[in-house]
Amino acid sequence: MSTAPESLGNSKSSDKSFEAMRKFAETYAKRTGTYFCADPSITTVVIEGLAKHKDDLGAPLCPCRYYEDKEAEVKNTYWNCPCVPMRERKECHCMLFLTSDNPFVGDKQELEVVEVSYEQA
Amino acid sequence: MSSAVAVTDSSFEQDVISSDIPVLVDFWAPWCGPCRVVATVVDEIASQYEGKVKVVKLNTDENPGIATQYGIRSIPTLMLFKGGQKVDSVVGAVPKTTIANTIEKHLAE
Repeated sequence: MSTAPESLGNSKSSDKSFEAMRKFAETYAKRTGTYFCADPSITTVVIEGLAKHKDDLGAPLCPCRYYEDKEAEVKNTYWNCPCVPMRERKECHCMLFLTSDNPFVGDKQELEVVEVSYEQA
Repeated sequence: MSSAVAVTDSSFEQDVISSDIPVLVDFWAPWCGPCRVVATVVDEIASQYEGKVKVVKLNTDENPGIATQYGIRSIPTLMLFKGGQKVDSVVGAVPKTTIANTIEKHLAE
């Protein structure tokens, strides 16, 4: 699979991948008793990031990590969502799945999609 | 995103390493939720420490050289540089007080 720099850059994911990741996130939140962030733009950004990685790399690699080699990380599977820390300890540093004691937690397990834009450096 | 000045792999030496005052670098990525949370806080820090601390941001997707050199893993990561050396770092969407305390500690030294 190609990872030309432009494919990792300033565009959004396909609608198909975004919808697949949104459905996954909603189902997984309900299954684990976790909630989305009180600010829906944060949740939307993360789902967009997961969907973009799914389009570009074939797997929803966590968008809140830096990887020297994204393709190698996908094969390694540790940071493919839901990542190992989430599955083992409900730890999501990307703020997608929040436990009820998190200061940023909201009360929703379904996404209210808001418009988010790619942030330029 | 933060209104902080963007630095790159090629400008890092001049903008961060050679700076006369301490520099706070916000390592971020475009589709990272907590990066957007911390960006707001970083802007407040920039105003609060204007003239004492320079605040910049680095897009890790576009600048893998510096991100790799400093061993960035989880993002957002905020890293404080003083005299060209990395002196501290904080990871995640931390409260403003955590960042301020980190800066104060090193300004006092």
